[in-house]
Amino acid sequence: MNIIDIRDLTYTYPRAEMPALREVNLSISRGEFVLLTGPSGCGKTTLCRCLNGLIPHFYSGKLEGDVDVAGLSILDTQISKLAQHVGLIFQNPDNQIFALTVEKDIAFGLENLGYSREEMIKRIDWALEATGIEDLRHRAPHELSGGQKQRLAIASVLVMRPEIIVLDEPTSFLDPVGAESILQIIDRLNRELNITIILIEHRLDIAAPYLDRVIIMNEGRIIHDGFPGEVFTSEETKLVGVGVPRVSELGYRLRETGLDLGSTPLSAQELVKAFKGRLIKQSGSRVDDILPRWLTPGEGGYETPEGVAVIETRGLHFAYPNGVKALDGVSLRVMRGEFLAIMGENGAGKTTLVKHFNGLLRPDEGGVYVDGKNISGMSVASLARKVGLVFQNPDDQLFSESVEEEVAFALRNFGFDKAKIEERIVWTLDLLGLARYRKTTPFTLSGGERKRVTLASVLAWDPEVIILDEPTIGQDYAQKMKLKDLLMQMKAQGKTIIIVTHDVEFVAECKPRVALMAKGRIIGDGPAERILTDLELLGRASVRPPEIGKVFLQLSDFGLPQNIINVNEAYDFLIKRLRGGED
Amino acid sequence: MMLEGLKFSAISSPIHRLDPRVKFLMVSILFVSTIIFSNLLPLLMIFVAQIPLLIIAKVQRQWLKSLRGALLLGIIIFASNLIANYFYRGRTLTTEVLELSLAMTLRFTALITTFSIFFLTTSPDRLSLALEKARIPYELNFAFITAIRFVPVLAEEAQTIMDAQKARGLELERGNFIQRIRNYLPILLPLIINSIRRSLELAEAMESRAFGAVKKRTNLYELRMTRNDYYVLLLSLATLLLVLYVRFFIPLPRYLFPNFRIL
Repeated sequence: MNIIDIRDLTYTYPRAEMPALREVNLSISRGEFVLLTGPSGCGKTTLCRCLNGLIPHFYSGKLEGDVDVAGLSILDTQISKLAQHVGLIFQNPDNQIFALTVEKDIAFGLENLGYSREEMIKRIDWALEATGIEDLRHRAPHELSGGQKQRLAIASVLVMRPEIIVLDEPTSFLDPVGAESILQIIDRLNRELNITIILIEHRLDIAAPYLDRVIIMNEGRIIHDGFPGEVFTSEETKLVGVGVPRVSELGYRLRETGLDLGSTPLSAQELVKAFKGRLIKQSGSRVDDILPRWLTPGEGGYETPEGVAVIETRGLHFAYPNGVKALDGVSLRVMRGEFLAIMGENGAGKTTLVKHFNGLLRPDEGGVYVDGKNISGMSVASLARKVGLVFQNPDDQLFSESVEEEVAFALRNFGFDKAKIEERIVWTLDLLGLARYRKTTPFTLSGGERKRVTLASVLAWDPEVIILDEPTIGQDYAQKMKLKDLLMQMKAQGKTIIIVTHDVEFVAECKPRVALMAKGRIIGDGPAERILTDLELLGRASVRPPEIGKVFLQLSDFGLPQNIINVNEAYDFLIKRLRGGED
Repeated sequence: MMLEGLKFSAISSPIHRLDPRVKFLMVSILFVSTIIFSNLLPLLMIFVAQIPLLIIAKVQRQWLKSLRGALLLGIIIFASNLIANYFYRGRTLTTEVLELSLAMTLRFTALITTFSIFFLTTSPDRLSLALEKARIPYELNFAFITAIRFVPVLAEEAQTIMDAQKARGLELERGNFIQRIRNYLPILLPLIINSIRRSLELAEAMESRAFGAVKKRTNLYELRMTRNDYYVLLLSLATLLLVLYVRFFIPLPRYLFPNFRIL
C-alpha cells in the first residue's frame, strides 16, 4: 500500500503569479527513505507543506489535485490530525522548540492531543531513547548544541508516533559531526521502526549511503525519480545544476572514460571496494614499479607568500561575558593575497576569531595587527574600510527598500561621494549578477540571492581583505559553484580572502590554506590537502575528511597518494594510473 | 545584565521545588513587608532574612549579578533622596538624611532580592502551570512562555545584527540626537523582520505538533502541594501577621543613629 499518494497536484501561493507546484504525481510506499532535492526555489519545501496539511489549511492559495497521506485526504483532514501521521522537521532548530526543558518540549504534541500523564511519560522515555538523548532530558534547550537541538526536534515529532517523518534541510545549521548524527538517527528510525523518511538535503555526500530513492524537482515539477545510482548519473540531473555525491561523480566520470567500476558508488566505502578489486587484479606486485612514474599531485600548489602579514594575531585570548572561553592563545599570520579557510566544529571559536580582525571584538590578552599596526586604538568603522566582513545570515543585515540602497549603505557610511557611489553600485551589481534586481526589495529575493546582496554590500567599497562567515550555508550546488568562481576571481585580483566554514567539500574544491581550530586554539595550519587528510588532527577538531580524501586514505596501501581530495584531481590521477597499469 | 540576573537557572534546591503558588505568596509577603516600612532597622532585618533564602536556593551569584546590573539605579535612588532631603531641610545634611537615603536604597535592594528569589528559582514551565491553574487562557499562557523562551535568542540576534552593521561602517554614536536615533534603524528593521519571519515559522511548527487539537489539553507536569509547601505556606502567613503587628502596634525608633549635622 502507498503511504503517500499525490495526484495531479498544482498549487499557487496566495498573491503569487506562478504556481509553486505543477502537476505533481507521486507515490511513496511505506518504509522508503526518499531524498527530495533540486535547486533552491524548485518547490520542495512547498511539497513538504502539503504532506501534513499546512497547505491548504495554514497557507491558503489555490490547490488542484489531491494528496492522500496514510489514507487521509489532506483536503478535508485537519493539520492536528495529520500531524499524528506525518512529523515535519524544519531547518532552524531554534524555531521549533517551545518549552524550557527537553522533556517538556517533547511532551508538547501529546499535551495538545490530551494524552494522560502516564502515557506521556512512557512515550517520552521511548522517544528519548530512540533519538539517543536520554541524558539531556532535564536540560534547557538553549544550552544544547545545534545537533542536539535538532535531535530534540526529531524526538518531539517522533513521540506522536508518525508513520512518516519529513525533514526540510535538517542539517543546514549543523557542523559535519552534528549532520552525520542526524542522518544516523533517521536511518535507524527508518530501519528499525519502518518509518517512511522524506529528506530534503543539499549535503548529498553524507546522505547518499542511506537512500532508497531520489526525487529531483525543478520549477515545481518532478523531473527525475529513481534509484540513487541512476538519478545521480543521469543527464537531467546535471542539467538542472543539482550536485551529486562526489564519489558517484567520480565513478561516473571514470565510466565515461571507459573505466567501468560496476554500479555507481554512493559512499567512499563502495568506491574503495570497487578500486581494490581492480588494483589487486591489475598490479599484483608491480605497485612499487608504477608509483614513481607519477608525480604526487597537490603539492606545490600552496606556499606562504613573503612580506608583511596583512592580518596577524599574537596570542589572542578572549572570553565572552558569560564566562565561555572562546579563544585560548591564537597566533595566526595571513599574508596579502592569500586564500585562507578557518575550519572546525561549531563553537570552536572561528567566528569569534574573525570578529577580532576588524575590531568587533577586542582581545582580553594578545594583539591584532593589520598591516603590521596594532589595532587596539582603532575604531571598527576605520578598520572595516580595509577588512570587509560578510556575516552568515543575510537576514541579520538587510534592511533597505532596494538592493541599490543596501549596497549604498556602507558607501555612505564611509563618506563616498555621489558619483563614486553610483559607479560602485553598478560595478558590484554587475560583478555579482544582481544588476536586474537593482530596484528590487531584497526581502523578496531568494535565500541565495539575498546572500549575494550582502556580499555585494561589502565588496562595494573594495576592501583589501574579505572575510566570509559560512558562505555556503543554505546554498545549493549551482550557487556554491558560482561562489567558488567568484572567490577565485577575487583571489586573482590580489584580494586576501578568508572564509570561515565547516563545508569540507567546498574547501577540498577551492584548496585554500586551512587553519583548523578546536576549543579556541589553532591545532593545524597548512595546505588543504595536508590538513584535510590528517586524520589525527581532523579527529581532534571533529571534522571529517572530504569524501574523495577518504577513498584515497583507504587506498594508501596500494601506493596511491594520500593527498588527493577532490574529484578533478582524483579523476586526472586515476586515469593516468589505471591506464598506466594496463600498458 | 539586569535581565541576565533574572534568568531562571535549572538547578535543584528546596526553594526551586516549592510550589510556584506558594512561592508567589511567599515573595508577595516579602514584597509587602518591604513596602510598608521606610526606616532602616526593619528593612535591614528583612534584607538579612533574605540572605539565607538566596543561599538555600544556590542563586547568590546570579543575585550579585542582578545587583551589579541595578547598581546605577541604586546610586540614583540614594543620591536623589539625599539631595531632595538636603534641600527640603534647608540645605543641611544630617545623619538622619543619610540614614533615610540609605533606608530607601536598602528597600530597593530588598525588592530586587525578592524578585530574584522568585524568578531565579521558578522555571517558566512551572510558572505557566500555576497560571494554568489560575485559569488564564492557554493561548495567553503559551505566548508568555514563548516570549520568555526567546529572550536569549533575541538578545543574541540583536548583537549579531549590530556587529554586521558595524562591519559595514555604521557608527551608532555619530551625529546629533535625531541622527543617532536614525542610526538604530539598520538594527531595528532586521530585528523586527526576523521576528515576524520567526513567528511564522513558529506557527508552522506549532501546527505541525497538533496545537489546539483538543479543547482540554493535558500537562506533563502536575502541581501537587508537598509537606514542605504547607510549612512554607504557614510560615509565610505567620510572618505576614508578625510584620503587620510590628508595623502597626510596636513603636519602632524612626532613626537608628543620633542626629547631628554633617554639613
